Amino acid sequence: MDVIWQGLKEGFMLILSLDQELIRVTLLSLHVSLSALVIAGIIGIPAGAFLALKNFYGRKLILNITYTLMGLPPVLAGLIVFLFLSNRGPLGDFQLLFTPTAMIIAQVLLGFPLVCGLTARAVMTQQQEVYDTSVMLGATRTQAVLTLIRESRIGIIAALTTALGRLIAEVGAVMMVGGNIQGKTRVLTTSIVLETRMGHDSRALGIGIILLLLAFIIMLIILKLEKRSFKDDSTIQII
Amino acid sequence: MTALFRLFNVTKNYGDRQVLNVEHLEIEAGHIYCILGPNGSGKTTLLRVISLLTLNDTGKLEVLGEHINWAPSQLLRLRRQMAMVTQSSYMFEGSVYYNVAYGLKARKTPEREVKFKVQESLDLLGMLDFINYPARKLSGGEKQKVAIARALAVNPRVLFLDEPTSNIDPSSSVEIERYIKYINEEHATTIVLITHKLFQARKLAKEMFLMWDGHILEWGQTRDLFHDPQDPRTRKFLKGEY
Repeated sequence: MDVIWQGLKEGFMLILSLDQELIRVTLLSLHVSLSALVIAGIIGIPAGAFLALKNFYGRKLILNITYTLMGLPPVLAGLIVFLFLSNRGPLGDFQLLFTPTAMIIAQVLLGFPLVCGLTARAVMTQQQEVYDTSVMLGATRTQAVLTLIRESRIGIIAALTTALGRLIAEVGAVMMVGGNIQGKTRVLTTSIVLETRMGHDSRALGIGIILLLLAFIIMLIILKLEKRSFKDDSTIQII
Repeated sequence: MTALFRLFNVTKNYGDRQVLNVEHLEIEAGHIYCILGPNGSGKTTLLRVISLLTLNDTGKLEVLGEHINWAPSQLLRLRRQMAMVTQSSYMFEGSVYYNVAYGLKARKTPEREVKFKVQESLDLLGMLDFINYPARKLSGGEKQKVAIARALAVNPRVLFLDEPTSNIDPSSSVEIERYIKYINEEHATTIVLITHKLFQARKLAKEMFLMWDGHILEWGQTRDLFHDPQDPRTRKFLKGEY
Protein backbone atom coordinates (compact mmCIF):
# COMPACT_ATOMS: atom_id res chain seq x y z
CA MET A 1 0.00 0.00 0.00
CA ASP A 2 2.91 2.30 0.85
CA VAL A 3 4.30 2.02 -2.67
CA ILE A 4 0.95 3.12 -4.11
CA TRP A 5 0.68 6.15 -1.80
CA GLN A 6 4.28 6.96 -2.46
CA GLY A 7 3.62 6.62 -6.19
CA LEU A 8 0.62 8.93 -6.06
CA LYS A 9 2.61 11.47 -4.11
CA GLU A 10 5.57 11.20 -6.45
CA GLY A 11 3.29 11.53 -9.47
CA PHE A 12 1.91 14.83 -8.25
CA MET A 13 5.37 16.00 -7.25
CA LEU A 14 6.65 15.15 -10.71
CA ILE A 15 3.86 17.15 -12.30
CA LEU A 16 4.47 20.11 -10.01
CA SER A 17 8.25 20.02 -10.43
CA LEU A 18 7.94 20.43 -14.23
CA ASP A 19 10.88 18.06 -14.63
CA GLN A 20 12.43 18.81 -18.04
CA GLU A 21 13.14 15.16 -18.87
CA LEU A 22 9.58 14.22 -17.98
CA ILE A 23 8.16 17.02 -20.13
CA ARG A 24 10.27 15.83 -23.06
CA VAL A 25 9.15 12.23 -22.55
CA THR A 26 5.51 13.29 -22.24
CA LEU A 27 5.63 15.44 -25.37
CA LEU A 28 7.27 12.63 -27.33
CA SER A 29 4.58 10.19 -26.12
CA LEU A 30 1.92 12.61 -27.32
CA HIS A 31 3.71 13.22 -30.62
CA VAL A 32 4.13 9.51 -31.38
CA SER A 33 0.67 8.33 -30.32
CA LEU A 34 -1.31 11.25 -31.76
CA SER A 35 0.59 11.15 -35.07
CA ALA A 36 -0.05 7.41 -35.30
CA LEU A 37 -3.72 7.95 -34.46
CA VAL A 38 -4.15 10.67 -37.10
CA ILE A 39 -2.49 8.49 -39.77
CA ALA A 40 -4.47 5.40 -38.71
CA GLY A 41 -7.64 7.54 -38.85
CA ILE A 42 -6.89 9.03 -42.26
CA ILE A 43 -6.33 5.56 -43.73
CA GLY A 44 -8.57 3.51 -41.45
CA ILE A 45 -11.85 5.46 -41.63
CA PRO A 46 -12.16 5.43 -45.45
CA ALA A 47 -10.90 1.82 -45.56
CA GLY A 48 -13.47 0.76 -42.95
CA ALA A 49 -16.27 2.57 -44.76
CA PHE A 50 -15.18 0.96 -48.04
CA LEU A 51 -15.22 -2.52 -46.47
CA ALA A 52 -18.65 -1.85 -45.01
CA LEU A 53 -20.26 -0.51 -48.17
CA LYS A 54 -18.58 -2.17 -51.12
CA ASN A 55 -19.38 -5.74 -51.98
CA PHE A 56 -16.47 -7.46 -53.67
CA TYR A 57 -14.84 -10.86 -53.84
CA GLY A 58 -12.70 -11.47 -50.75
CA ARG A 59 -14.40 -8.77 -48.65
CA LYS A 60 -15.29 -11.18 -45.84
CA LEU A 61 -11.75 -12.52 -45.73
CA ILE A 62 -10.31 -9.00 -45.50
CA LEU A 63 -12.79 -8.16 -42.74
CA ASN A 64 -11.82 -11.30 -40.84
CA ILE A 65 -8.11 -10.49 -41.19
CA THR A 66 -8.78 -6.93 -40.00
CA TYR A 67 -10.70 -8.18 -36.96
CA THR A 68 -7.88 -10.62 -36.21
CA LEU A 69 -5.28 -7.86 -36.45
CA MET A 70 -7.25 -5.81 -33.92
CA GLY A 71 -5.62 -8.13 -31.41
CA LEU A 72 -2.14 -7.92 -32.95
CA PRO A 73 0.42 -8.22 -30.13
CA PRO A 74 2.44 -4.97 -29.93
CA VAL A 75 5.71 -6.91 -29.72
CA LEU A 76 4.88 -8.66 -32.99
CA ALA A 77 4.02 -5.33 -34.64
CA GLY A 78 7.33 -4.01 -33.35
CA LEU A 79 9.18 -7.03 -34.67
CA ILE A 80 7.65 -6.68 -38.15
CA VAL A 81 8.59 -2.99 -38.33
CA PHE A 82 12.03 -3.80 -36.90
CA LEU A 83 12.66 -6.38 -39.64
CA PHE A 84 11.58 -3.92 -42.34
CA LEU A 85 13.62 -1.01 -40.99
CA SER A 86 16.77 -2.80 -39.85
CA ASN A 87 19.87 -2.47 -42.00
CA ARG A 88 19.20 -5.82 -43.64
CA GLY A 89 15.51 -5.03 -44.17
CA PRO A 90 13.90 -3.66 -47.37
CA LEU A 91 13.59 -0.16 -45.87
CA GLY A 92 16.96 -0.21 -44.10
CA ASP A 93 18.41 2.51 -46.33
CA PHE A 94 16.09 5.08 -44.79
CA GLN A 95 17.87 4.70 -41.40
CA LEU A 96 14.61 5.01 -39.50
CA LEU A 97 15.21 2.41 -36.82
CA PHE A 98 15.41 3.83 -33.27
CA THR A 99 13.75 7.08 -34.31
CA PRO A 100 10.31 8.47 -33.41
CA THR A 101 9.27 7.85 -37.04
CA ALA A 102 9.83 4.12 -36.57
CA MET A 103 7.73 4.27 -33.40
CA ILE A 104 4.93 6.04 -35.29
CA ILE A 105 5.04 3.43 -38.07
CA ALA A 106 4.78 0.60 -35.51
CA GLN A 107 1.86 2.31 -33.78
CA VAL A 108 0.06 2.92 -37.09
CA LEU A 109 0.34 -0.83 -37.65
CA LEU A 110 -1.40 -1.36 -34.31
CA GLY A 111 -3.97 1.43 -34.64
CA PHE A 112 -5.04 0.91 -38.26
CA PRO A 113 -6.85 -2.45 -37.80
CA LEU A 114 -8.73 -1.06 -34.80
CA VAL A 115 -9.89 2.09 -36.58
CA CYS A 116 -10.65 0.22 -39.81
CA GLY A 117 -12.47 -2.72 -38.18
CA LEU A 118 -14.52 -0.66 -35.75
CA THR A 119 -15.40 1.91 -38.44
CA ALA A 120 -16.56 -0.92 -40.70
CA ARG A 121 -18.75 -2.24 -37.86
CA ALA A 122 -20.15 1.24 -37.14
CA VAL A 123 -21.04 1.87 -40.78
CA MET A 124 -22.46 -1.65 -41.21
CA THR A 125 -24.94 -1.07 -38.38
CA GLN A 126 -26.52 1.79 -40.33
CA GLN A 127 -29.78 0.91 -42.02
CA GLN A 128 -30.53 1.04 -45.74
CA GLU A 129 -32.96 3.85 -44.96
CA VAL A 130 -30.09 6.27 -44.26
CA TYR A 131 -28.81 5.86 -47.82
CA ASP A 132 -32.33 5.85 -49.28
CA THR A 133 -33.29 9.02 -47.40
CA SER A 134 -30.15 10.76 -48.65
CA VAL A 135 -30.53 9.86 -52.30
CA MET A 136 -34.27 10.58 -52.28
CA LEU A 137 -33.42 14.07 -51.03
CA GLY A 138 -31.16 14.50 -54.03
CA ALA A 139 -27.77 13.50 -52.66
CA THR A 140 -25.18 12.12 -55.07
CA ARG A 141 -23.73 8.69 -54.26
CA THR A 142 -20.67 10.32 -52.72
CA GLN A 143 -22.80 12.68 -50.63
CA ALA A 144 -24.96 9.75 -49.47
CA VAL A 145 -21.89 7.72 -48.48
CA LEU A 146 -20.47 10.71 -46.59
CA THR A 147 -23.83 11.02 -44.83
CA LEU A 148 -23.63 7.35 -43.87
CA ILE A 149 -20.18 7.96 -42.39
CA ARG A 150 -21.45 11.08 -40.61
CA GLU A 151 -24.35 9.12 -39.15
CA SER A 152 -21.86 6.51 -37.92
CA ARG A 153 -19.68 9.08 -36.22
CA ILE A 154 -20.38 7.96 -32.66
CA GLY A 155 -19.05 4.52 -33.60
CA ILE A 156 -16.11 6.09 -35.43
CA ILE A 157 -15.26 8.26 -32.42
CA ALA A 158 -15.40 5.09 -30.32
CA ALA A 159 -12.97 3.48 -32.80
CA LEU A 160 -10.57 6.41 -32.49
CA THR A 161 -10.72 6.52 -28.70
CA THR A 162 -10.19 2.76 -28.49
CA ALA A 163 -7.19 3.05 -30.80
CA LEU A 164 -5.77 5.96 -28.85
CA GLY A 165 -6.18 4.02 -25.61
CA ARG A 166 -4.19 1.19 -27.11
CA LEU A 167 -1.49 3.36 -28.63
CA ILE A 168 -0.78 5.58 -25.67
CA ALA A 169 -0.54 2.62 -23.30
CA GLU A 170 1.48 0.44 -25.65
CA VAL A 171 5.05 -0.46 -24.72
CA GLY A 172 6.18 -3.51 -26.71
CA ALA A 173 6.35 -1.99 -30.19
CA VAL A 174 7.85 1.36 -29.24
CA MET A 175 10.45 -0.39 -27.11
CA MET A 176 11.44 -2.69 -29.97
CA VAL A 177 11.73 -0.08 -32.74
CA GLY A 178 12.52 2.96 -30.58
CA GLY A 179 15.01 1.39 -28.21
CA ASN A 180 14.09 3.63 -25.25
CA ILE A 181 16.98 6.00 -25.91
CA GLN A 182 17.08 8.86 -23.43
CA GLY A 183 16.36 12.20 -25.01
CA LYS A 184 15.54 10.58 -28.34
CA THR A 185 12.97 7.79 -28.23
CA ARG A 186 12.03 7.46 -24.58
CA VAL A 187 8.28 7.74 -23.99
CA LEU A 188 6.13 7.44 -20.86
CA THR A 189 5.50 3.70 -21.15
CA THR A 190 9.13 2.80 -21.77
CA SER A 191 10.09 5.09 -18.87
CA ILE A 192 7.78 3.08 -16.60
CA VAL A 193 9.52 -0.14 -17.64
CA LEU A 194 12.94 1.39 -17.09
CA GLU A 195 12.11 2.87 -13.68
CA THR A 196 10.57 -0.43 -12.52
CA ARG A 197 13.67 -2.35 -13.64
CA MET A 198 15.81 0.11 -11.71
CA GLY A 199 13.71 -0.49 -8.60
CA HIS A 200 12.15 3.00 -8.61
CA ASP A 201 8.62 1.65 -8.14
CA SER A 202 7.13 4.88 -6.83
CA ARG A 203 8.53 6.95 -9.66
CA ALA A 204 7.29 4.34 -12.16
CA LEU A 205 3.84 4.56 -10.62
CA GLY A 206 4.03 8.34 -10.68
CA ILE A 207 4.77 8.30 -14.41
CA GLY A 208 1.88 5.85 -14.81
CA ILE A 209 -0.44 8.36 -13.17
CA ILE A 210 0.75 11.07 -15.56
CA LEU A 211 0.06 8.69 -18.45
CA LEU A 212 -3.47 8.05 -17.19
CA LEU A 213 -4.14 11.75 -16.71
CA LEU A 214 -2.89 12.44 -20.21
CA ALA A 215 -5.17 9.78 -21.70
CA PHE A 216 -8.09 11.17 -19.70
CA ILE A 217 -7.50 14.72 -20.96
CA ILE A 218 -7.19 13.61 -24.59
CA MET A 219 -10.38 11.54 -24.38
CA LEU A 220 -12.19 14.48 -22.83
CA ILE A 221 -11.04 16.75 -25.65
CA ILE A 222 -12.19 14.23 -28.27
CA LEU A 223 -15.57 13.86 -26.62
CA LYS A 224 -15.91 17.62 -26.22
CA LEU A 225 -15.03 18.12 -29.87
CA GLU A 226 -17.87 15.79 -30.68
CA LYS A 227 -20.12 17.82 -28.34
CA ARG A 228 -20.68 14.65 -26.41
CA SER A 229 -19.33 15.12 -22.93
CA PHE A 230 -19.92 12.70 -20.09
CA LYS A 231 -22.89 14.90 -19.16
CA ASP A 232 -24.64 13.94 -22.38
CA ASP A 233 -28.32 13.36 -21.73
CA SER A 234 -28.99 11.26 -24.81
CA THR A 235 -28.33 8.03 -22.95
CA ILE A 236 -30.86 5.22 -22.61
CA GLN A 237 -33.05 5.82 -19.61
CA ILE A 238 -33.12 2.67 -17.46
CA ILE A 239 -35.72 3.03 -14.76
CA MET B 1 -52.16 14.49 -69.80
CA THR B 2 -48.50 13.42 -69.63
CA ALA B 3 -47.70 10.11 -67.99
CA LEU B 4 -45.03 10.59 -65.35
CA PHE B 5 -44.56 6.88 -64.84
CA ARG B 6 -45.09 4.02 -67.29
CA LEU B 7 -44.50 0.39 -66.46
CA PHE B 8 -44.74 -2.55 -68.84
CA ASN B 9 -44.31 -6.10 -67.59
CA VAL B 10 -42.15 -4.99 -64.68
CA THR B 11 -41.17 -7.79 -62.32
CA LYS B 12 -39.11 -8.06 -59.18
CA ASN B 13 -38.04 -11.23 -57.39
CA TYR B 14 -36.40 -11.74 -54.04
CA GLY B 15 -34.82 -15.19 -54.36
CA ASP B 16 -37.50 -17.55 -55.62
CA ARG B 17 -40.31 -15.28 -54.53
CA GLN B 18 -41.86 -12.92 -57.04
CA VAL B 19 -42.92 -9.81 -55.17
CA LEU B 20 -43.89 -7.66 -58.13
CA ASN B 21 -45.42 -8.39 -61.50
CA VAL B 22 -47.02 -5.35 -63.06
CA GLU B 23 -48.21 -5.79 -66.63
CA HIS B 24 -49.09 -2.17 -67.22
CA LEU B 25 -49.34 0.95 -65.12
CA GLU B 26 -49.48 4.65 -65.89
CA ILE B 27 -49.38 7.55 -63.48
CA GLU B 28 -50.23 10.99 -64.80
CA ALA B 29 -49.07 14.34 -63.55
CA GLY B 30 -50.87 16.48 -61.02
CA HIS B 31 -53.08 13.98 -59.16
CA ILE B 32 -53.05 12.03 -55.93
CA TYR B 33 -52.76 8.30 -56.51
CA CYS B 34 -53.28 5.74 -53.86
CA ILE B 35 -51.86 2.23 -53.73
CA LEU B 36 -53.90 -0.12 -51.58
CA GLY B 37 -53.54 -3.77 -50.80
CA PRO B 38 -52.94 -6.26 -48.01
CA ASN B 39 -49.53 -6.70 -46.37
CA GLY B 40 -47.00 -8.33 -48.68
CA SER B 41 -48.94 -7.45 -51.82
CA GLY B 42 -45.99 -5.53 -53.31
CA LYS B 43 -47.03 -1.93 -52.62
CA THR B 44 -43.72 -0.78 -51.16
CA THR B 45 -41.73 -2.68 -53.79
CA LEU B 46 -43.73 -0.93 -56.52
CA LEU B 47 -43.07 2.42 -54.87
CA ARG B 48 -39.36 1.65 -54.52
CA VAL B 49 -39.11 0.60 -58.18
CA ILE B 50 -40.80 3.74 -59.54
CA SER B 51 -38.81 5.95 -57.16
CA LEU B 52 -35.65 4.28 -58.53
CA LEU B 53 -34.55 2.86 -55.19
CA THR B 54 -34.95 -0.77 -56.27
CA LEU B 55 -33.92 -2.26 -59.61
CA ASN B 56 -36.60 -4.17 -61.49
CA ASP B 57 -35.62 -7.58 -62.84
CA THR B 58 -37.49 -7.43 -66.12
CA GLY B 59 -39.81 -5.12 -68.05
CA LYS B 60 -39.77 -1.55 -69.25
CA LEU B 61 -39.81 1.37 -66.89
CA GLU B 62 -40.31 5.01 -67.80
CA VAL B 63 -39.94 7.68 -65.15
CA LEU B 64 -40.66 11.36 -65.79
CA GLY B 65 -40.70 10.65 -69.51
CA GLU B 66 -37.33 8.86 -69.61
CA HIS B 67 -36.64 5.22 -70.25
CA ILE B 68 -34.63 4.04 -67.25
CA ASN B 69 -31.13 2.74 -67.93
CA TRP B 70 -30.00 3.05 -64.26
CA ALA B 71 -27.00 5.21 -65.14
CA PRO B 72 -25.91 7.15 -62.01
CA SER B 73 -26.28 10.53 -63.78
CA GLN B 74 -29.83 9.66 -64.85
CA LEU B 75 -30.75 8.41 -61.38
CA LEU B 76 -29.48 11.62 -59.81
CA ARG B 77 -31.27 13.86 -62.32
CA LEU B 78 -34.59 12.06 -61.92
CA ARG B 79 -34.40 11.52 -58.16
CA ARG B 80 -33.84 15.24 -57.77
CA GLN B 81 -37.36 15.76 -59.09
CA MET B 82 -38.87 13.37 -56.57
CA ALA B 83 -39.04 13.04 -52.79
CA MET B 84 -40.23 10.38 -50.38
CA VAL B 85 -41.68 10.20 -46.90
CA THR B 86 -41.93 6.80 -45.24
CA GLN B 87 -43.94 5.57 -42.28
CA SER B 88 -41.16 6.20 -39.78
CA SER B 89 -39.04 8.73 -41.59
CA TYR B 90 -35.34 8.64 -40.82
CA MET B 91 -34.09 11.78 -39.17
CA PHE B 92 -30.42 12.61 -39.57
CA GLU B 93 -28.51 13.30 -36.37
CA GLY B 94 -28.74 17.07 -35.98
CA SER B 95 -31.28 19.84 -35.84
CA VAL B 96 -34.56 20.17 -37.68
CA TYR B 97 -32.83 22.87 -39.77
CA TYR B 98 -30.05 20.44 -40.75
CA ASN B 99 -32.62 17.86 -41.82
CA VAL B 100 -34.77 20.20 -43.89
CA ALA B 101 -31.75 21.90 -45.45
CA TYR B 102 -30.16 18.55 -46.42
CA GLY B 103 -31.64 18.24 -49.93
CA LEU B 104 -31.00 21.89 -50.73
CA LYS B 105 -27.39 21.69 -49.61
CA ALA B 106 -26.91 18.51 -51.65
CA ARG B 107 -27.96 20.64 -54.65
CA LYS B 108 -25.45 23.34 -53.64
CA THR B 109 -28.23 25.90 -53.21
CA PRO B 110 -26.92 29.28 -51.98
CA GLU B 111 -27.04 29.58 -48.18
CA ARG B 112 -29.52 32.48 -48.17
CA GLU B 113 -31.95 30.54 -50.34
CA VAL B 114 -31.51 27.45 -48.15
CA LYS B 115 -32.44 29.47 -45.07
CA PHE B 116 -35.46 30.97 -46.78
CA LYS B 117 -36.77 27.67 -48.13
CA VAL B 118 -36.24 25.82 -44.84
CA GLN B 119 -38.19 28.49 -42.99
CA GLU B 120 -40.92 28.53 -45.62
CA SER B 121 -41.37 24.74 -45.56
CA LEU B 122 -41.35 24.51 -41.78
CA ASP B 123 -43.78 27.40 -41.52
CA LEU B 124 -46.17 25.66 -43.89
CA LEU B 125 -46.15 22.57 -41.70
CA GLY B 126 -46.44 24.63 -38.50
CA MET B 127 -43.00 23.50 -37.33
CA LEU B 128 -41.02 26.74 -37.52
CA ASP B 129 -40.71 26.95 -33.73
CA PHE B 130 -38.76 23.67 -33.78
CA ILE B 131 -36.14 24.83 -36.30
CA ASN B 132 -33.19 24.48 -33.89
CA TYR B 133 -34.56 21.47 -32.02
CA PRO B 134 -32.77 18.07 -32.29
CA ALA B 135 -34.79 16.23 -34.93
CA ARG B 136 -34.53 12.86 -33.20
CA LYS B 137 -36.14 14.18 -30.04
CA LEU B 138 -39.38 15.09 -31.80
CA SER B 139 -42.56 13.05 -31.39
CA GLY B 140 -43.69 10.70 -34.17
CA GLY B 141 -46.18 13.20 -35.58
CA GLU B 142 -43.69 16.06 -35.45
CA LYS B 143 -41.06 13.92 -37.18
CA GLN B 144 -43.49 13.18 -39.99
CA LYS B 145 -44.21 16.88 -40.42
CA VAL B 146 -40.47 17.61 -40.56
CA ALA B 147 -40.07 14.79 -43.09
CA ILE B 148 -42.79 16.35 -45.26
CA ALA B 149 -41.21 19.80 -44.87
CA ARG B 150 -37.85 18.28 -45.82
CA ALA B 151 -39.38 16.75 -48.94
CA LEU B 152 -41.23 19.97 -49.83
CA ALA B 153 -38.12 22.14 -49.45
CA VAL B 154 -36.66 20.60 -52.61
CA ASN B 155 -39.85 21.38 -54.53
CA PRO B 156 -40.40 17.91 -56.01
CA ARG B 157 -42.57 17.15 -59.03
CA VAL B 158 -43.54 13.86 -57.41
CA LEU B 159 -43.96 13.06 -53.74
CA PHE B 160 -44.04 9.43 -52.62
CA LEU B 161 -45.70 8.76 -49.31
CA ASP B 162 -45.37 5.27 -47.85
CA GLU B 163 -47.95 4.99 -45.07
CA PRO B 164 -47.09 8.45 -43.73
CA THR B 165 -49.76 8.39 -41.04
CA SER B 166 -49.60 4.79 -39.85
CA ASN B 167 -47.58 5.49 -36.70
CA ILE B 168 -49.20 8.69 -35.54
CA ASP B 169 -52.30 9.74 -33.63
CA PRO B 170 -55.59 10.56 -35.41
CA SER B 171 -55.40 14.34 -35.03
CA SER B 172 -51.84 14.52 -36.45
CA SER B 173 -53.01 12.14 -39.14
CA VAL B 174 -55.84 14.49 -40.16
CA GLU B 175 -53.42 17.40 -40.14
CA ILE B 176 -51.02 15.55 -42.46
CA GLU B 177 -53.87 14.61 -44.78
CA ARG B 178 -54.70 18.31 -45.01
CA TYR B 179 -51.10 19.09 -45.98
CA ILE B 180 -51.08 16.34 -48.59
CA LYS B 181 -54.16 17.83 -50.20
CA TYR B 182 -52.69 21.34 -49.98
CA ILE B 183 -49.36 20.31 -51.54
CA ASN B 184 -51.16 18.66 -54.42
CA GLU B 185 -53.52 21.55 -55.05
CA GLU B 186 -51.21 24.50 -54.48
CA HIS B 187 -47.90 23.13 -55.77
CA ALA B 188 -49.40 20.81 -58.41
CA THR B 189 -47.22 18.05 -56.96
CA THR B 190 -48.12 14.55 -58.07
CA ILE B 191 -48.55 12.38 -55.01
CA VAL B 192 -48.30 8.60 -54.85
CA LEU B 193 -49.56 7.40 -51.51
CA ILE B 194 -49.50 3.97 -49.96
CA THR B 195 -52.02 3.56 -47.20
CA HIS B 196 -53.88 0.91 -45.26
CA LYS B 197 -56.60 3.37 -44.35
CA LEU B 198 -59.49 3.04 -46.77
CA PHE B 199 -61.10 6.29 -45.64
CA GLN B 200 -57.82 8.08 -46.37
CA ALA B 201 -57.70 6.75 -49.90
CA ARG B 202 -61.32 7.71 -50.41
CA LYS B 203 -60.74 11.20 -49.03
CA LEU B 204 -57.50 12.02 -50.88
CA ALA B 205 -56.98 10.00 -54.03
CA LYS B 206 -58.30 10.69 -57.50
CA GLU B 207 -57.24 7.26 -58.69
CA MET B 208 -56.26 4.14 -56.88
CA PHE B 209 -54.58 0.82 -57.54
CA LEU B 210 -55.43 -2.29 -55.65
CA MET B 211 -52.47 -4.65 -55.40
CA TRP B 212 -52.63 -8.35 -54.79
CA ASP B 213 -49.77 -10.80 -54.72
CA GLY B 214 -47.49 -8.47 -56.65
CA HIS B 215 -50.09 -7.76 -59.34
CA ILE B 216 -52.32 -4.77 -59.89
CA LEU B 217 -55.70 -6.31 -59.43
CA GLU B 218 -57.76 -3.29 -60.23
CA TRP B 219 -57.04 0.29 -61.13
CA GLY B 220 -59.35 3.25 -61.69
CA GLN B 221 -61.07 6.30 -60.31
CA THR B 222 -61.35 6.02 -56.53
CA ARG B 223 -65.07 6.75 -56.61
CA ASP B 224 -65.74 4.02 -59.19
CA LEU B 225 -63.61 1.46 -57.38
CA PHE B 226 -65.38 2.00 -54.10
CA HIS B 227 -68.84 1.98 -55.72
CA ASP B 228 -68.44 -0.75 -58.23
CA PRO B 229 -65.37 -2.97 -57.74
CA GLN B 230 -65.07 -5.55 -60.52
CA ASP B 231 -62.92 -8.19 -58.84
CA PRO B 232 -64.40 -10.15 -55.92
CA ARG B 233 -61.09 -9.78 -54.03
CA THR B 234 -61.26 -5.98 -54.39
CA ARG B 235 -64.82 -6.11 -53.11
CA LYS B 236 -63.77 -8.13 -50.09
CA PHE B 237 -60.76 -5.91 -49.41
CA LEU B 238 -62.80 -2.73 -49.59
CA LYS B 239 -65.29 -4.26 -47.18
CA GLY B 240 -62.41 -4.82 -44.81
CA GLU B 241 -62.58 -8.59 -45.06
CA TYR B 242 -58.84 -8.99 -45.77
